[in-house]
Amino acid sequence: MSVLSLRTYNPVVKVLAPVPAMIVSIGSRDLWTPALFGAVALVMLLVSGGLRGRTLLAVLFGPVLLVAVMTVSFGVWTDPARVDHTIALATLGPFTLWSGALEIGLATGLRVASVVLLALLAGLTTDGPDLVRSMISHLRMPYRIGYAGFAAIRFVPRFRSDLEIIRLAHRVRGVDGGRGPLATGRRYSGYAVPLLAGAIRHGDRVSLAMEARGFGAHRTRTERRHVPLRARDAVLATWLLALCYLVPHLSGAL
Amino acid sequence: MKRLTTRFLMACAAIGAATGVLLLPANFASFAISAAVPLAYAAMVGVWLIGPVVALAVLRRPGAALLTMLIAGIINIPTPAGPSAIVTNLMVGVAMELGFLVTRYRIWRPWLFYVTALVFEVVYAASAYAYFNIDDMAAAGKTFFFALMAVSAVGFTWLGLLIAGRVTATGVARGIAPGTRPVAPPPAPVES
Repeated sequence: MSVLSLRTYNPVVKVLAPVPAMIVSIGSRDLWTPALFGAVALVMLLVSGGLRGRTLLAVLFGPVLLVAVMTVSFGVWTDPARVDHTIALATLGPFTLWSGALEIGLATGLRVASVVLLALLAGLTTDGPDLVRSMISHLRMPYRIGYAGFAAIRFVPRFRSDLEIIRLAHRVRGVDGGRGPLATGRRYSGYAVPLLAGAIRHGDRVSLAMEARGFGAHRTRTERRHVPLRARDAVLATWLLALCYLVPHLSGAL
Repeated sequence: MKRLTTRFLMACAAIGAATGVLLLPANFASFAISAAVPLAYAAMVGVWLIGPVVALAVLRRPGAALLTMLIAGIINIPTPAGPSAIVTNLMVGVAMELGFLVTRYRIWRPWLFYVTALVFEVVYAASAYAYFNIDDMAAAGKTFFFALMAVSAVGFTWLGLLIAGRVTATGVARGIAPGTRPVAPPPAPVES
């Protein structure tokens, strides 16, 4: 597989290496730092993410929409006393929208979008089981915990159908709290207990089946599929760490 | 490692997966709502606490919250939060464990759940402070933001404890929590 594809990189590196960049971006207050981080992550995703179809559209337009919505929503909440020296854009009764408030909202929106994009570097290019395998071999996580994670991934579709059955059973018996968000919440907490009880019971059965096959008898376990940790992962980690230094300096010059 | 029986691990996996399935719509909704109405985000923060609270209250073992949140994070990989959800989840799990760790896992009373949840919320609020730039909000908004966070932490902890109590009453977790092991039958009298 090509060096250019993010899918060939180590999952643990992809999850952990962007974290310092996220922290630098969260800690910034200007417009350029988060914008540059977000742009770099977006370019990396577009060039080497191998995205197509709906995901590609969501990555292209999602952040723009997010920034636009947050610019207004956080701008409205900004303390007017801080920004009343800037230009008043609109007045609606007692409320005035200042351009400075929008700028603060824009900075917040860019910060959130940059963190989301940095998280998506791993999120859109990683296969769940591969991440667990890599955590077992490279982070020294005990394999029994990792295999509990594998089992949990297989639990999800089962529990989803369980939830559907419980929902239908409640409906057949006429357990209906009415409409509206409060009633929905109450209805959901009614599903929680049977679902959890069934889930724990299923977990019991699976654990018996696993132990019957000798799971956990040995200290180590051989993996059929090996997730490599290569030189390209070191390059990716260095690049993302270097961004933490480069981006604030570059944005200071802009 | 010896105390991590497969049954305990699978119970954590089951709680992690089940709360994940229940909260998946809430996760998407909270992401969408929090972008539009920042204050709603504060109200949704407590949702994260349901999983670890249920796990700790039902299983009553060290590491229950941590394992449940790790597994819930592994399940969340295909969501928009991505694998970074694991990092966030582990943070919540560690925070919920801390309160029980300092009391050496001897106290399982409801007040400890509430205190731990509130302490976590204070720490979390500090990070949200920088993330959402709350410093620039109007004073009323600021106060409201933190009050909402505290209310949501307490409210969702209450909900978690309520669910946990009912799950315990079903008896499915019997034998996992130490001290609730069924009493062994007395040894059969020796036949003479």
